[in-house]
Amino acid sequence: MSSIKETFSQISPSEFFYRNRDLAGFSNPTRSLYTSVREFVENALDACDQKGILPDVHLSIKAVDPEQPDPKPYILSVKDNGPGIEPKHVSLAFGTVLYGSKFGLKQARGMFGLGATMAILYGQITTNKPVTVKSCADGKTQDEFVMLLDIQKNKPIIQKHTTKESSKTGLSVSIVLEGDYSKAGIKIRDYVAQTSLITPYASITFEEPTGEKFHYPRIVKEMPTPPTIIKPHPHGIDVETIRRMMVDTHYQIPVVDNKMISKVRSELGLQKKNPNSKAILEKAQKKWSGLSRPVRIIVAMISFLDMDFEKLSKIRIDDLDVPNKKLTYWDFGESQSHIIELDPETPYYKQLANTVAGDTLHSFMTKRFQRVGPTTADKFAEFAKFKPEKRIGSMTNEDLVRLADSLQKFEEFLSPDPSCLAPLGEEPLSKGIMKFFNPEFASVIQRSASAYSGFPFIVEMGIAYGGDIPPKGLQVYRFANRIPLLYDEGSDVVLKVVNEVDWSRYKIKGDPPLVIVSHICSTRIPYKTVGKENVADRPEIERELKNALQFLARKLAVHMSRQGMADMAKKRANLYSKYVPLIAQFVTELSGNKKEPNYKQLMQKGSEIEEQV
Amino acid sequence: MKNKSKQAKTVEAKKQALLSILKNRGLTVYDDLNNGKFPQFSIPSRSVSNIVYDKKLRQYILGKAAAVRSSRNMSQLRSFTQLAWLAFFVNRLVNEGKTSTLRDIYYSSQAFAIDFEDQPESDNIIVDLEAILARAREDFHVFPEERSSVFGNLTIEYTVPGYEGKRMNLSDHPDGYLIGPSLSSAELVDTDAELVIAIEKGGLFTRFVEEKVHKKFKAIIVDTAGQAPRSTRYLLKRLSTELGLPVVILADGDVYGEHIAMVIKSGSANAAHLRELTVPDAKWLGVWATDIEKYKLPTIPMTESDIKRIYELQKDPRYQEGNWKKQLEVFLKLKRKAELEAFSKYGLTNITDIYLPEKLELAKSL
Repeated sequence: MSSIKETFSQISPSEFFYRNRDLAGFSNPTRSLYTSVREFVENALDACDQKGILPDVHLSIKAVDPEQPDPKPYILSVKDNGPGIEPKHVSLAFGTVLYGSKFGLKQARGMFGLGATMAILYGQITTNKPVTVKSCADGKTQDEFVMLLDIQKNKPIIQKHTTKESSKTGLSVSIVLEGDYSKAGIKIRDYVAQTSLITPYASITFEEPTGEKFHYPRIVKEMPTPPTIIKPHPHGIDVETIRRMMVDTHYQIPVVDNKMISKVRSELGLQKKNPNSKAILEKAQKKWSGLSRPVRIIVAMISFLDMDFEKLSKIRIDDLDVPNKKLTYWDFGESQSHIIELDPETPYYKQLANTVAGDTLHSFMTKRFQRVGPTTADKFAEFAKFKPEKRIGSMTNEDLVRLADSLQKFEEFLSPDPSCLAPLGEEPLSKGIMKFFNPEFASVIQRSASAYSGFPFIVEMGIAYGGDIPPKGLQVYRFANRIPLLYDEGSDVVLKVVNEVDWSRYKIKGDPPLVIVSHICSTRIPYKTVGKENVADRPEIERELKNALQFLARKLAVHMSRQGMADMAKKRANLYSKYVPLIAQFVTELSGNKKEPNYKQLMQKGSEIEEQV
Repeated sequence: MKNKSKQAKTVEAKKQALLSILKNRGLTVYDDLNNGKFPQFSIPSRSVSNIVYDKKLRQYILGKAAAVRSSRNMSQLRSFTQLAWLAFFVNRLVNEGKTSTLRDIYYSSQAFAIDFEDQPESDNIIVDLEAILARAREDFHVFPEERSSVFGNLTIEYTVPGYEGKRMNLSDHPDGYLIGPSLSSAELVDTDAELVIAIEKGGLFTRFVEEKVHKKFKAIIVDTAGQAPRSTRYLLKRLSTELGLPVVILADGDVYGEHIAMVIKSGSANAAHLRELTVPDAKWLGVWATDIEKYKLPTIPMTESDIKRIYELQKDPRYQEGNWKKQLEVFLKLKRKAELEAFSKYGLTNITDIYLPEKLELAKSL
């Protein structure tokens, strides 16, 4: 029909990101510079957090040619005192996209460690300059790599690799990228300042292109408890995730190579050089109970395929479709694919089926998910209308959809385990706020863990009033997983909750010197946009934010009324000392007395009475 | 002469009564201060909800609600002090026989570190004191700036210091005499008048003097200069009660004119705390709405606010019957009004030659 021949070709992840760099926050020189700073700083902090090292982060941005107008190339360097990266991993970690160690389920700033590579990629695209990585992981030698990225092949090209002695672990990354500091500067300064507020255990220095230095010293000397990696919660699972979980629950069909063949021979005690399939099966039947699992599978295949060892080593099993009782294999000799029917009546069928069908639903539930015990697993199976013994691998597509659906709907799962979360803690948060704002009053609260859609989260919040805070009205500082959120405030759930508060109820009027610091921790923050700058209004999160805010607002109200009472008492004392003598003077003449009444007692009383409300 | 000495006694008795009340009030506060108690005053509430129309008295009066002004309450301490000062100041005024004006009070306060924010605040404190003592401010020797005039064959005798015993006939000066503090406190000695005509406008007042209305009708003419000030109403009251003269009122032919007459007759809501300012037997001669058609007066259209005012007055209990009610209805129907000067269309003396005699004749039957 069509005369145009469509061609499909694979692209590497690097190339995919190169083509879609807008998605990752590299849409223009201003945003790209800001995003790059964030990615490197967050990687540095994450690395330190993971090893329980108090972070020391140095950030510097320098113009390659200060005379040139913006946008222009900048050298961005971030250095940390983290664990470093072993030399053999460096080139892969920074030279390929999708190489990361953050795939486990726990709270971290970045998701998969992609951002840093994206920044490197962006730098390379805009300036054609290599990235320089200096890493010391053992505290003895520092490796320095200068490398470029081969975008099409998704491979690093190392231009230079040198080593030298070093006594401290840590990582330093330096790239050259096109940026616009005149526009990005204000956000970057805000970002660094706010990061220091939410990371009071870190020491951060920042050197601007102008040479100005900002230093945020460490305020607390203890690391917050690190999060642990945990299994997923059933509510946070979709069909695709189940499919992936099943792949690694499978017992893999063993590769038939010489090593395996000799293993089969020795277990079966075969002497003949090349026995036919019948001979193999006969031997196997006698010795079945003593055979290891891989050997049993090989034997089962020999029975279905009717092949000897030689033939078996020339094929590759591609698929074993248990529900449809079909086996697909590739014959290297003939260079073509074959499908054979499996007879479910033979004893070998069950062996094969059980092998690839993986765990029963019961053990799948208890082994692969957090906080699911045998009782819950059985109840769930009943709810989802499966037998608990049902093999996961034997499920059809429809079964899987039903399973995924039931996982969402079943209400008796325990709420998600919050041990994978790393809130900052009330004391460090409070200290951070005191140091940062120097307020007259401050209070913080950490709510207990809650969950939305199977993802646990914790809300931490602080309020600060007066002192050095300028009376410019309410300011809200938003954080998620210890990252400041600076863009897109308008549509954020925190702002929504804050704006719903009637502050006059808490004795706050006009443009108060008031600051609210909100920190949401979760294994997955429900961002509204890819830019990760505003949090969507999930009802569960909204409720926690509201409760936290109400608690703090009431504390503030108590403070305000104490303050108000003190002011009132002073005002009252002043008023009485002004007016009572006057009244005395007037009524002395009015009543025809010569001497003024003794009103001292009254004055005393007057300044003491509490204001009646 | 008998009459005269009686009047002098009354004035003196009233003064002594006031001074005694003031002294007692002062003593109470003095004792409270000495005993470490917070002094307070009870002030009859002047809020709208506490103003009621008394049919027997034929005027507005205050109901029973009262507010406490206490020195214990921080927000009232200032106004309590202002009240104490005012009582003290009034005591001096009355003792020394001096008079003051509302504006004067505002400035006088500043000599005593009593900080009134503006004159309305001090005016308000004066009304508070009136309500507490149930006395008009004129009794305290405090007068408003607004002044009206009186003319006619009436002999008075001053009681103010420096003029005691001096007499004066109020027909000696054709511009009339200001109804000020000295005239208000003077004794009404003698008159041959048989009638008091209160007229709303200065221009007509002059015309009446020129046309010798005081002689033709044996009348004392009073210029109310718009809504009659309290001192004028007080004088009208005295002319009515002390000399037994009937009082008639001539005002513009509109809703405001009708209400000027009503206020002279039965008082205003603003002065509901006072009792001596009404002339219940006063008669409204005109200009009535029905006169506009009857005398074919040139008219001007009513404004929105004129009509709104009619609707307001229709809710007032005093306008629920008789001629008062009827005239409002006709005004509303006409939606036009006529001023007293409108009679000039038929000649300058038309009002005194034709209208006044006819209305006076009619008034006898009212």
